[in-house]
Amino acid sequence: MLLPPTDSKIVARRAEIVAALKEIVPDGVVADPSGLATFDTDALSAYHQMPLVCVLPSNREQVSAILKYAGAEGVPIVPRGAGTSLSGGALPREDGILIGMGRMKRILEIDYENGCVVVEPGVTNLNITKAVEANGFYYAPDPSSQVACTIGGNVAENSGGLHCLKYGLTTNNLLGVTMVLPGGEIVTLGGKSGAQGGLDLLGLVTGSEGLLGVVVEVVVKILRKAPVTRTLLASFDSVPAAGACVAAIIADGVVPAAMEFMDRPAAEAIESYNQPGYPPGAEAILIIDADGVEADVSHAVSRVIDIVAKCGGQTVEATDEKQRARIWSGRKAAFAAMGKLAPDMICMDGSIPRHALPSVLEEMAKLSQKHGLGFCNVFHAGDGNLHPLIIFDTMKPGEFERAEAFGADILRLCVKVGGVLSGEHGVGIEKRDLMTEQFTESDLEQQHRVKCAFDGQGLFNPGKVFPTLSACVEQGHIHVHGAQLPHPHLPRF
Amino acid sequence: MSKADSPAQVVEFVRAARAGKAPFEIVAGGTRRNVGAPLGDLPLLDVSGLSGILKYEPEELIVTAQPATPLAEIAAVLAEKNQRLGFDPADWSKLLKSNGVATLAGAASCDASGSGRLRHGGPRDSLLGFEAVNGLGESFRGGSKVVKNVTGFDLPKLMCGAYGTLSVLTEMTFRVYPKPQYAAILCLADVTVEDGFAALRRIARSALEPAGLAYLPARMMADVGQGAALIKLEGAREPLEQKIALAHGLLGQAMHRIEEDIFPTIGNGEKFADLTGDVWRVMIAPSDAPRVAKDLNVSHWLGDWAGGLIWLAAAPSEAARIRKIAADAKGQAMLLRASAESRALHGLYAPQPPSLAALNRAVKAAFDPLSLFNPGRL
Repeated sequence: MLLPPTDSKIVARRAEIVAALKEIVPDGVVADPSGLATFDTDALSAYHQMPLVCVLPSNREQVSAILKYAGAEGVPIVPRGAGTSLSGGALPREDGILIGMGRMKRILEIDYENGCVVVEPGVTNLNITKAVEANGFYYAPDPSSQVACTIGGNVAENSGGLHCLKYGLTTNNLLGVTMVLPGGEIVTLGGKSGAQGGLDLLGLVTGSEGLLGVVVEVVVKILRKAPVTRTLLASFDSVPAAGACVAAIIADGVVPAAMEFMDRPAAEAIESYNQPGYPPGAEAILIIDADGVEADVSHAVSRVIDIVAKCGGQTVEATDEKQRARIWSGRKAAFAAMGKLAPDMICMDGSIPRHALPSVLEEMAKLSQKHGLGFCNVFHAGDGNLHPLIIFDTMKPGEFERAEAFGADILRLCVKVGGVLSGEHGVGIEKRDLMTEQFTESDLEQQHRVKCAFDGQGLFNPGKVFPTLSACVEQGHIHVHGAQLPHPHLPRF
Repeated sequence: MSKADSPAQVVEFVRAARAGKAPFEIVAGGTRRNVGAPLGDLPLLDVSGLSGILKYEPEELIVTAQPATPLAEIAAVLAEKNQRLGFDPADWSKLLKSNGVATLAGAASCDASGSGRLRHGGPRDSLLGFEAVNGLGESFRGGSKVVKNVTGFDLPKLMCGAYGTLSVLTEMTFRVYPKPQYAAILCLADVTVEDGFAALRRIARSALEPAGLAYLPARMMADVGQGAALIKLEGAREPLEQKIALAHGLLGQAMHRIEEDIFPTIGNGEKFADLTGDVWRVMIAPSDAPRVAKDLNVSHWLGDWAGGLIWLAAAPSEAARIRKIAADAKGQAMLLRASAESRALHGLYAPQPPSLAALNRAVKAAFDPLSLFNPGRL
C-alpha cells in the first residue's frame, strides 16, 4: 500500500502550520508526539502514520477557517470521527492536518413532529438512539461499532449494520447535512424537508469517505421502535439448503429485520467461545429477526418456519428476551471467537448476489487450500454482504502475505460473480488498489472528475479510495494479533 | 430528430454532438418535456428504443431494465412475482396533457415520487446502479447490481432528479420490494387543516409503516365536510386488520374506509390536471404544512407525505409570492406545470445560494463539460 509521497516542504513548515492552527483553535491543537500517537491509526491498525498535526475544532466557523487556511497553503486534510474505520479512511498523513470532529458532539434539536434529530458530527451513533428511546424512537442504521462510531463518520462511510435489508444504510436515513467545502465555504444540502432544489449532492457526499469536505451538522430521520421483535434460529444440513432458504424467504415477500448466516466453522468457534446454544452438527445456521406490529410479525414468523421446513431445515424460536440476547451475543462475538483459533486474522467485506453464495463458499474452500490457510464465514444473508474471516499466524514466515493474497482473491471472486468489493466497510486504503477489479478506467475517471469538482487541489484525504497507477501492492484489511482488535470492546460485523 | 436504439448509438451521437459543440434534448417517453426551464428548439435524441427489462431476479430483489422501459410494463412484470419498484413512480402525463408514455428513466430523472415515498423513499433510495454515456462520449457505470454496496462514489444518487443534465442513461438497476397483499384507505372526514395534518403526523410517527398520508380540503374531495385526512395502510389480511384497529386507537376518532385507492391520483397530480394556472409542488417540513397552506391562501391545494409536500394551483402572477413562502419555511417550491415563459422566468427551483449553485455547476461539468445534455433545464 502506497500513499502519495510526503511533501517534505510542508513537513518543514510544521511549526508555522501549528502556530496558524493555534490562532484558529487556541485550545484544540495537538502537536506533541505523545498526543499525536493517539491518532496514528484507525481500526485498520496494520497501518500507522503520525499526522503532521491534529486539530480539534469546536464549531463550524473554526472548521471553515481551518479549511480556508489549508486550501490557501496547500496542506492536505484528513478528517476523522471516532477512528473506527475498518478500511483506513482516517489514516493520517505525515504532511497533513488531521481534523478530529470529536468535540462537536451536541445534539442540537430533537423534532418528534417531523421525525428527525439535528446533531453535530461527533455525536455517536448510539447516542442518537439514546436521546430518543425514552419516547419510543430510534435511529435505524446500527453498525456494530455504534457505541463509539460518530454520525459524521457514518455519513462519510455510508455505514450499514445488521438491519439494512429492511431499513437501509445511512444514506436512506438522512434528510440533510451542512458541510464545509475545501476552501472553507459552508453549504447546506437538504434539511428537514429533505429537498435540495438541485442535484442530489447529499446522496453524493454520503459515503464519499472524507474526499469531498467536512460535515459539520447532520439531520437524521428517526423511527418508531417496532412494538414486537421475534428471533428464530434455523439450522441446515448443507450450505446450499440454507442459501436456497434465504432466497425462498425473500421470494415469499417476507422482509426480515435481520437475517444472518454462519457456516459450520464459524458456528462451532462461537459455540465453544460463549455457548449461545447453536445446534451442534449443523452445516449452516441462520438467525432471523422479524419486527413490526404483532400480527405482521406473527405472519412473518409462521411463513419463515414453513419455508425453513420446506428447505429441510429446523427452526427454534427464542422464547424470551434473554434467549434472544444470547443468540445474538454469539453472532456478535464471531470475531472474538475466531480469534481463539489462531493468533491472527483478517476480515474481508464483499457483497455478492445471494444466489452465488453456495458457489462462492465452494470456491473459497479451494482458495483456502491454495493459500494453505483456514477461514470461516459470517454473512449478512439478507443483503448479500459477506464477511469471510481468514486465520493465520504472523509469526510463521509468509503467512501474513498469504493471508492478504487469499483476501484479495476472495474480493476478486466477489466481483467475478457480480458483486462488489465493499458492502459496508468502505474502500479507504484497504481496497483502493482492487478498485480496478470492479471498475473500468472510464468508471474511475468519472468518479475522479466528481472528486475534482469539490476538491480541485486534491487536498482531501489523498491516497484513499482511488488507486494510483504506480501502486500495485494489495494489502490492508483488518489485522488482528492475539485476538486483539483495535477497540477490542466493540462488537464487529 | 435522431434515434439511438443501443448504447453504442448513444455514444456515437454524443461524440458527434461533442465534436460539433451541439447541445441536444434527451427524450424517452416524452411525458415530462415541459417540466423545467424550456430548452428551445434543440435537436432531439430519441432514446425510446432503449426499452425493455434486461434481467429480473425476484429473489435478489433487483431488476435491471433499459431506461425507456414504460413504468406500466415494469409494474406489470414485477406484480407477477408479487413485487413492486422500490420507489412509487409518479406519472405526470395527465397533468401535463401528454400523450407520451411515462418511463423508468423519466420518473427517476425528474425525481417523480408519488405518495409511497413515505414508505421506502424516492428513486434515489432504490436506484442501485446504472450505465450511461457522459458528455465526453464515454460509457461508464455507477453503483452496482447488488442491494448493499459502498464501493466508490454513490453516483446513482446524482442521476435521480438531475433531469437528464448529467448523462444519457442506457441501463438502470433498481431495488424492488414485496408488494403487500392488501391495502386499505381510511378517511378521517370533516377535519380542519390543523387537526387533519396533526392526525397524519401521528400515524407517520407510529410503527404502522403507512403507504400514504394525505390531507384534502373540501374543494378537492366531495362529501368530506371541511376536509379529509386519508391514511393508506398495507399488509397481509390479518396484519392489515390489526393496523386499521391500531390507527383507530391512535387517533381515537371514527374513520370510514374508502374503496377506491385515491393515492395514485394524488401522486400523479391528476387532481390538478383540469385546473387552470400554474401547478406547484412545495416541499417542506411536515409540521409546517398547516401554516404554509394558510399563507399560500389558494383555493386549490392538497398535502401529501403527511404534510411534507403541498400541491397547489395558482395564477402565474403568484410565482414570486409562492417562492417566498417556501423559502421562509426552509423548503423548496418546484414549478411543475407552467407556460414556457413562466418556466423560463422562474426556473424549476428557486436560485440556490451562490456557493451551492457553483458546486452544482462544477458537478454538472464533471459529467458534461460542454453542457450538451438538456442545457439549463435544472
